[in-house]
Amino acid sequence: MTTVGIGTPQTRQGLGSRLAALTRIVELGPGRVDPKLLTESGQLLLRAGDRLKLSSDHTVVALAGGTGSGKSSLFNSISGLDLSPTGVRRPTTARTHACVWGLEGAGPLLDWLQIQWRHRFARASALDKGESRLHGLILLDLPDHDSIRALTDTEADRLIQVADLVVWVLDPQKYADASTHRRYVTELAGHDTVTVFVLNQADRLAPEELAECVTDLDDLLRREGVENPVIVTTSAVTGKGVDNLKVVLADTVARRRAAIQRLEADLDRLTRRLGKIMPDDDAPPPPAAIDDARRIGLTDALCDAVGVPAVGEAMENVYGVRSVEWVGWPYARWAKKLRPDPLSSLRLGDLKDEIRGLTGGSVSAQPAEVDNAIQALADGLTTGMHEAWQNGVRDAARSRSAQLPQVLSEELTEVAPSLDRVPAWWRLLLVWQYLLVLLFVAGLVWVGTALAYGVFEIGTLPESLEMFGDAASLPWVGLMMASVLGLGVLTAVAARNVVVLGAANERERLEREMRRRIGSVAEGMVIEPVERELARYNEFYGAMRSVRG
Amino acid sequence: MKSAANRPAHPGDGDPRLGDASPQASGGAPEEHPESLGEQTVAFRAIRDDDVVSVEDDESVQDDERDESVQDDEQDESVQDDEASPAAPGEDGDAAAPGGGDDVAAHAGNPGDEGDEAESSDEEPSDDDAAPELSIRPAAADDGDSDDGDGDAGSPGRDDEAPELSIRPVESGEPGEEDSGAGESSGSGEAELSDDDAPADGDANPELSIRPADSGEDGSGAADDDASSGEDADPAEDDEDEDGFWPTAAASDGTRVRETPVPDEVSEALTNALAALRASVTGLSFGLDLPGVEEARRAQAEILTQLDDYVIPRIHMSTAPALIVVAGSTGAGKSTLLNTLANARVSATGVRRPTTATPVLACHPDDYEWFAKGDLLGGLERLEAPSHKTGTDGLVLVSTERLPQSVALLDTPDIDSVVETHHEIAHRMLDAADLWIFVTTAARYADAPAWRLLRLAKERGARLAIVLSRVPPKSREVVTKHFVRMLTEYGLGEVERFVINESKVTDGMLPDHEVTELRLWLAELSVDDQRRTQAVQSTLTGVLDSFRTRVPALARHLEAQVAFRAELRRDVDTAYAAAMVEIEEAAGNGSLLRGEVLARWQDFTGSGDLMRTLHLRRPGRFAGKASHQGPERLSALKTALRTALESVIVSAAQRASEEVVARWLNRPGAGETLAATPGLGRPSEDFVRRAGRTVAAWQEHIVQLIRTEGVTKRTVARLVSFDVESLALIFAIGLLGYGTTEVEAAGKGALPQRLLHALLGAESLRNIAAKARSDLRARIGMLFDDETSRYIHALDSAGIPDEAAATRLYQATYNLEVAR
Repeated sequence: MTTVGIGTPQTRQGLGSRLAALTRIVELGPGRVDPKLLTESGQLLLRAGDRLKLSSDHTVVALAGGTGSGKSSLFNSISGLDLSPTGVRRPTTARTHACVWGLEGAGPLLDWLQIQWRHRFARASALDKGESRLHGLILLDLPDHDSIRALTDTEADRLIQVADLVVWVLDPQKYADASTHRRYVTELAGHDTVTVFVLNQADRLAPEELAECVTDLDDLLRREGVENPVIVTTSAVTGKGVDNLKVVLADTVARRRAAIQRLEADLDRLTRRLGKIMPDDDAPPPPAAIDDARRIGLTDALCDAVGVPAVGEAMENVYGVRSVEWVGWPYARWAKKLRPDPLSSLRLGDLKDEIRGLTGGSVSAQPAEVDNAIQALADGLTTGMHEAWQNGVRDAARSRSAQLPQVLSEELTEVAPSLDRVPAWWRLLLVWQYLLVLLFVAGLVWVGTALAYGVFEIGTLPESLEMFGDAASLPWVGLMMASVLGLGVLTAVAARNVVVLGAANERERLEREMRRRIGSVAEGMVIEPVERELARYNEFYGAMRSVRG
Repeated sequence: MKSAANRPAHPGDGDPRLGDASPQASGGAPEEHPESLGEQTVAFRAIRDDDVVSVEDDESVQDDERDESVQDDEQDESVQDDEASPAAPGEDGDAAAPGGGDDVAAHAGNPGDEGDEAESSDEEPSDDDAAPELSIRPAAADDGDSDDGDGDAGSPGRDDEAPELSIRPVESGEPGEEDSGAGESSGSGEAELSDDDAPADGDANPELSIRPADSGEDGSGAADDDASSGEDADPAEDDEDEDGFWPTAAASDGTRVRETPVPDEVSEALTNALAALRASVTGLSFGLDLPGVEEARRAQAEILTQLDDYVIPRIHMSTAPALIVVAGSTGAGKSTLLNTLANARVSATGVRRPTTATPVLACHPDDYEWFAKGDLLGGLERLEAPSHKTGTDGLVLVSTERLPQSVALLDTPDIDSVVETHHEIAHRMLDAADLWIFVTTAARYADAPAWRLLRLAKERGARLAIVLSRVPPKSREVVTKHFVRMLTEYGLGEVERFVINESKVTDGMLPDHEVTELRLWLAELSVDDQRRTQAVQSTLTGVLDSFRTRVPALARHLEAQVAFRAELRRDVDTAYAAAMVEIEEAAGNGSLLRGEVLARWQDFTGSGDLMRTLHLRRPGRFAGKASHQGPERLSALKTALRTALESVIVSAAQRASEEVVARWLNRPGAGETLAATPGLGRPSEDFVRRAGRTVAAWQEHIVQLIRTEGVTKRTVARLVSFDVESLALIFAIGLLGYGTTEVEAAGKGALPQRLLHALLGAESLRNIAAKARSDLRARIGMLFDDETSRYIHALDSAGIPDEAAATRLYQATYNLEVAR
């Protein structure tokens, strides 16, 4: 009953690194964590920084409690002087009084606590016999927190939040007040090591009543989550039990750890709350970077948005069709032209030219499909993440999605095939085909002359042209003509095959090139921001783990 | 003389009211209280407009106006005191004459009518026969006092309806509901004054003229608390402003107020009004977690319990044993006090805090049956001894000879311990109390919870006595003085106080001499029926008054909920409307035709398939059959188009759902919990599938349209047939804006359009285009309707009250006022 529980075996170093982790959380948190909690974290950091800078030789002990519980009497009783006025009027104390055992170095701490000068008192501890064990104690007599005055005054509240050790002064009448328990004790459950409960006015109760009362209080506190409540019964009036309290205080002061324990307890509490809204136990081991499968998935989806396969196919088909005009067998083309054209009957003759004029060359991305591709990536990555982070990743992925279609279009248009280009060898083949046609015509002429002069002998040819009139040449000429025709067909077929093959190759090359470009655009505009966000996510949860200690 | 001085103010008030109701009479309205007129109009306009104003409604308007005007009276009292008695009758007369004259003119000269409210006479020109309710009151007046004020206002018709009297006297006899006019004139008890009153009132408000008659019958003492406290000058003010420090009030009232007989029958109107109020409060549900919803829910529960536990039973039995509730902080000594007064250990005491968990009711054996029967606090189970199991609905009932008759003491749990259910029980008990004894201690009297309770008492207008116990004898003076000062500063300086010294408690009881004073007070209360009745009535009135603000507060919250729901609804609609616009834009400006669609289109046209969809019509060949040349390209284009449109829809829906959630999260309160409903932040599970189906169905629809309505131009039809599927696709491409953007650079107009134009003709093309567009819009609309219904469902599952509930509440409050 007279010992403060042993604190967690953590060093000051541990606290420092936890606070550093909390700093990271505060930096990374905005937009992801409840702003209120972040504000509180910031305040805790500030307070911790202040407190750790200030005298570590002093322990701030606050006597808190409802009006009329005897805080001031106890204060006076511990200090052995009538420093804080006591009275029967409620509420009595309106300003905090402080009594310091061992003044050196306490000034800045008292300034930080905002204790008014005229309410500061010092015990020159060394001179007091038996009081040296309290050296380093700063005892605060707080105003009450439950009277109508306290409704407009938050001084008690403020000091309860910053004191190293809070001594709750309760009395038999008020020990179960909601104003104490709901607002502070339950909230600060887990601060066991830096909280002491004093049941004052013990003289008002018979011993057995007192025992019952203490048991009841103990039960109540345990129900509220205070694991090892330290309860001291005192009577400020008779002085009974005050020494016990002094022992507890001396113990705390001597160990000089209350300030750190208090901060640790605050940190624990904050961490619990953070953990509640940002549970990381069930969070998946967050992907450090976007794996290849996802990258490929994204590139595929973006390719679909641009229509890469379609562009390739279109190119291939259009080449195939168009090449016929150049490298096809001329006779087939001419035959086709003889067929009636529906368009001409619609007087839409120029439509054909227009279709032919479809130059292609502009490749563009479908914005909605780009959107959905990015969405799918974000969804896949964030499964199981906290909603705030899901949104974060999604927003990161989308951060440049507005420009993405445009950038993609520009990038790809550079490599887009122009459908109306005509390779030189097409022209050569055309010439060749016409040459063959010419040969064929020449053959026809030869046959004609041979028939006319050689067979029917309608006249004689000049000497120089005699060979054309020779009927004997007919089979040879016929053979040649057949060969010419055959050569034409063969050439057409071969050229066609070459075109198709070439187009297929071209298509493959094109698709590869487009994929490559799309991939690099996606890398810069989607993957990179997402990875940054993921890194932030990882760092946040890393900080969460280290703040947990 | 006070009452006499006061009275003239009434007609003065009555006239503006009349003026309010019927414009003709306003000419005669004195300008004494313009502000009261303003208040009244503000307070009751809305409902009056909505309702078919019955006579009773109007009456209550006036009642209420009267209540408010009473305060004006009080403010202006000094002025009025000077001039009232001489001036007022004259004024009344003036006011009466023109007002009456107008009415007569308006209503075919029925003198009885003009006495009635203008509105009712508007509705029913022949009042004598048509408005039975109107005539009831005068009849009541007749009954009581056949030729007093009534002679003036009374018409032959009234006498005819005299049989219906029986309804009214009940109400008029009942204290608390009565109109102030009655108390006033009865208080004065002077015939001539009531004569003066009668014509004036008769003009402004016929009921007023009745009241004197009634009270005349009952005797001068018939004035109820309400009337006397409301109307009479100084003591009345005390009552109103300071929660009735009743000894004072009693002192001044005692001389004039005669005991009101307990009504054997209760005004049906009041009961009905309360039942209606109860019904309309019961049905409320506050589904959205708006700021303040917790308070609203609590207030709703409180009102319900108070109606059941207290108001309805109390209305029925009026002055039966008064229930005095002892309330206060934990450890203040409530149980000890009760034990001491009962001289028996009826309630557990101890050092454990909190001590009392189950309320203990101690009463005289004579009253035991009555409390055991349990109208009052009927919802609580009666117990023999406290038990831990009962939770919040038990009540220990004990009887003791030491307590005086007609006064029961109820020990309650604390109001400030860690056990929050205790606070609820305590407040429930207080809600059912006729008198409050507030116990605090020397250590506690500055506690915030204690003062919250005092404030509540003040707000509710409850009769209050304060016990300051556990006062150390040596500091008694200091503490008491300080406490009294605080009370005085708080406006409770006049409240009855008892001080009990801190003394040795034996067997849960204080020494008897400590409570002598309190015991005397109780005895007095027990013996003096009139004082008790008055206290009871005062509290009841206070509670009924409190409904005037509490119920409308509920209604306001309800309205806020309804409005908030509408806002949330609007957020959804806005987001999806924006999505719709986005889609239409994308579908109109050609941005759909990018990426794959464009490539497929180029493929389709460039490979010659487009041309192949057209066939020359040749004899013997099957016209219009599907193209066999390149179905794979055709279907690829079709699929690409569907995919594109689908992704536009999906993307828009995704944004819309995110938008809704973001908007909801921005709204304080309910938005958060609703947005936390899983899945609202994205389109529903099968949305993509449904969107795909929708687009496919639309494409089918276009094919149908082309097939049925795309009648080829005759000149063309002779020559060419076309493949419907392909043409539908070309049409869709054209419809979705091919050629409107950079997609088509050729200057001669977009290819598909020209082709279609040539084939179908402009007229037909336009028709089909319009139909196809509206069909697409309708289909997407349906798709989005399904999406929005998820949000509506989320809203509805939170249980949102219907919009009429607030109106019903206002109306119930109003009706209650009418009935009072």
